[in-house]
Amino acid sequence: MRRPLIGMTAYAQQVQYSNNDLMAGMLPMTYVRAVHATGGRAVLITPDDPDIDVLDSLDGIVFSGGGDVDPAHWGAERHPATDTDAARDASEMMLMKAALDRDLPILGVCRGMQVMAVAGGGTLHQHLPDLTGNELHQAAAGTDPLAADAAAYGRHDVVIEPGSRAHDLLGPRLVVNSFHHQAVDDPGKFTPVGWCPDDRIVEIIESANHTFALGVQWHPERTADLRVFTALAEAAAERSGLARREFARR
Amino acid sequence: MRPIIGITSYVVPATWGVWHEVSTALIPNDYVAAVELAGGRAVILPPDERDADVLRVLDGLLLAGGPDIEPGRYGAEPAPLTESRPERDAGEFLLVRKALELDLPVLGVCRGMQVLAVATGGTLHQHLPDVLGHEQHRPAPGVYGEHEARFEGGSLIAKLMGDDLGIHCYHHQGVADPGTLRVTGRTEDGLAEAVEAPDRRFVLGVQWHPEVTRDQRLFGALVEAAG
Repeated sequence: MRRPLIGMTAYAQQVQYSNNDLMAGMLPMTYVRAVHATGGRAVLITPDDPDIDVLDSLDGIVFSGGGDVDPAHWGAERHPATDTDAARDASEMMLMKAALDRDLPILGVCRGMQVMAVAGGGTLHQHLPDLTGNELHQAAAGTDPLAADAAAYGRHDVVIEPGSRAHDLLGPRLVVNSFHHQAVDDPGKFTPVGWCPDDRIVEIIESANHTFALGVQWHPERTADLRVFTALAEAAAERSGLARREFARR
Repeated sequence: MRPIIGITSYVVPATWGVWHEVSTALIPNDYVAAVELAGGRAVILPPDERDADVLRVLDGLLLAGGPDIEPGRYGAEPAPLTESRPERDAGEFLLVRKALELDLPVLGVCRGMQVLAVATGGTLHQHLPDVLGHEQHRPAPGVYGEHEARFEGGSLIAKLMGDDLGIHCYHHQGVADPGTLRVTGRTEDGLAEAVEAPDRRFVLGVQWHPEVTRDQRLFGALVEAAG
């Protein structure tokens, strides 16, 4: 039985590797492995020539982490710390709206959750330290950003609304890793269902009107807890009429 | 709807922004831009060893350049300068064998031509300077070797290239035995520079780097065959 095909939005990024310094279409392998480990087949969707035709081929889609969403998309002025990517914004806003319209199963991770909120008419906080006065959501003070790895991520609790679909999936509470300085303010047409209890920053959004549209502010792909990826693969398999037996419940 | 062209990817430790040496699936943007300029929709295929089912949604396959093929794939021991990535080999050989079986249009670039040759039973030279006695296929780090190729009359590649026979190469391995494919282009030193499968709709391997110039003669032909 074939696996669900999961599109993943990719970075178009100037990158260094071996002796090369070039523009590449790319995505950290942690995302790819998360999809493959939960029964899907990953393909990377480059932002270079925005169109939505590729969605016809997919069973589900992940909107990946990355740079900031341009505040122009929700009518705000740009904060000095905001660092945007116009090509990704254009491509991902278009793909997100179309994926929601056709009820394609969607998982938004970090920036991907923020794209989801903005595409749904919502707004973002542009720089969390201004708002919360804490650095729970970023790397620990004194961390060398050039050596950022899993241990350098922020770490905090998330509490989840009883009765929500996220609660069914993740339970009432979990500890997450965190690496972001923007966050969802107004979730638009989505429902906020998970928060950081220390500062009430929104950590999970979901949709009651879609088969599967879930956004998480943390980075599950860099952890052993891949339940949100499993749930995406299951929703994608079910939507496309694929056998469910391979997608064992957690 | 545009034809969808799957491009096989590198996996390398990459550095950008605050991120340092992160294991990353990537493809130089030249490949993506060359496909999109030709009217195709590029998707990047990270290595995956389980199956070739992704071909179901692809209209064409682009085998990108990259590291050396594991010599065990053609029955040889690794030579001192051979650097291979077995997990990439596993994913690509699965894809290319199935694509040939399905008669899906395939363009192989550099390593991609070598994958085509080895997948059909061929073998490689592991370090060309040892065989040819010169370094004109990779003159120096980051420098392309400029050549005039000779193409076999009536071949697909001869038709596509027309009168402009200039190619630029960057490789230290080359095809020794093309397997079931036919060599349809060579450099002045006799090295195979193009291979084809005449019994397939469109299967072409080139040892040079047409993506750097976004050469629409080749990428246009791939997308047209895929359409």
